[in-house]
Amino acid sequence: MADSVQELKQALNITGDAMVEKSDGSVRLVGSKCSACGDWIFPPTPVCPECMSESVERRELSEIGCLYSWSVVRIAPKNWKTPFVAGYVDFPEKVRVFAHMVDIDPECLSFDMKLSVCKAVVGQDADGTQIESYSFLPAEGRN
Amino acid sequence: MRRVAILGAGMVPFGKYPGKTLSEIAWPAVKAAIEDSNIPKKTIEAAYCGTALGGMMSGQRILKTLGITGLPIINIENACSSSSTAFREAWIAVAAGVYDVVVVIGVEKLTKFGGGTLPLEKEDFEVAHGLVMPALYAMRARRYMHEFGLTEDHLAKVSVKARNHGKHNPDAQLREPTTVEEVNRSRPVADPLKLFHCCPSGDGAAAVLICAEDVASKYGGVPINVVGSEINSGKYMTGFRDMTSPEITVRGAAQLYEEAGIGPEDIDLAEVHDAFSIAELLYYEALGFCPRGEAGRLIDEGETSVGGRIPVNPSGGLLAKGHPIGATGVAQIVEIVRQLRGQCGDRQVEDAKVGLTHCTGGGVSGFDHGVCSIHLFSR
Ligand SMILES: [Zn+2]
Repeated sequence: MADSVQELKQALNITGDAMVEKSDGSVRLVGSKCSACGDWIFPPTPVCPECMSESVERRELSEIGCLYSWSVVRIAPKNWKTPFVAGYVDFPEKVRVFAHMVDIDPECLSFDMKLSVCKAVVGQDADGTQIESYSFLPAEGRN
Repeated sequence: MRRVAILGAGMVPFGKYPGKTLSEIAWPAVKAAIEDSNIPKKTIEAAYCGTALGGMMSGQRILKTLGITGLPIINIENACSSSSTAFREAWIAVAAGVYDVVVVIGVEKLTKFGGGTLPLEKEDFEVAHGLVMPALYAMRARRYMHEFGLTEDHLAKVSVKARNHGKHNPDAQLREPTTVEEVNRSRPVADPLKLFHCCPSGDGAAAVLICAEDVASKYGGVPINVVGSEINSGKYMTGFRDMTSPEITVRGAAQLYEEAGIGPEDIDLAEVHDAFSIAELLYYEALGFCPRGEAGRLIDEGETSVGGRIPVNPSGGLLAKGHPIGATGVAQIVEIVRQLRGQCGDRQVEDAKVGLTHCTGGGVSGFDHGVCSIHLFSR
């Protein structure tokens, strides 16, 4: 497996995948919810940073989040195809997720707009291996 | 704790030295600091060397060239705050009475990476997703512009001021003045940030010689007193955080001002971590130089230029002087020492008595910054 794909998997697979596909084709992010103090953490972790409890449960986050800020990024390490659109998306579970927004027109973005999770190719390794991860699209009236 | 003073300061002009090794870049800065102090080199009891990417035993590699060996040499990595952290550790050791005379070095050679953005640790999930430092600051900028009505011209004015200061600093990497129009026309990097909103990449080194205050009197010269030292890690927050207010700097400044009994109104000049134009504006507010939301007014009215109410980055700052990351913390201190001694020529802040340095570091997800170190100095 190519380097960047491996690195992304390691960064996100601390206790398993950070993303699941539902039977209806939609995608959810998976975080951890601490059974002791109730905090949510993303990506999933085996230990709660708030109370150090290891009794943390893998749970799906809501499908839709709100855009906090974003950028059109024009310089990045070479496995990223520039320019790309990326931003921080806030979820109702009070976690903030950094992600690419593939196939989105940056002109249509606005503060606090609703975005839904999807799966997309976000980059490519030197050997041509595609880097697949979560991405965001406008939620289009859903909430 | 004993009072600590700086007796010597030296640096090499920041720039690109691809043909030189790390120790070839650094030794002239160390030698300059020692000669500036008038203290014989054999009096030095310990050395602290800050570098983020210089590799193992950087301090030993540098100091062997000057024959300063057979003493404790401590190498410190703390991202862009590596050498401000080294300074802090050296200060603790002298203040505690462990050593009387210590040399502190900051050094970096970024040209060995061949340019581009700073290499970050890919086991971080945001970095593994392609987050680079300009993108992070771009998102801060966009949110601040949205919340407080800041414009691209405000951002550009920070870069223009930096170059206006840098043109008077022979140690600065970028010495050509620029204009708001030229900044706005420069190549987009991460919207809304353009190339001229970003500090240049490069190499450099700086050094200071510190000692216990009672030792300082033996060697003459004008000692510069260390009147406050603060360091913190960011708070890890997986949830929402206000990216328009850098919590680590707000918290650190409040702690330092209280400990030192000095407030922002007492400060004559500051060297702050303007890695990107937006950062300097956020720090005006975080360090208490103006109320929240008024950073744009401060730059508009020239209050942070040399000659203004609170000159910020008279050296040119990271935007013009350059940012060889591990060297930055000590280089900021070198500028404050020279300003407080009145040695800065056309960029001299008139009658400067109290100076502040502020250095942050680190792109780690969940943190505002990984580290922030703030120091206060007086003459
Ligand atoms: Zn917990």
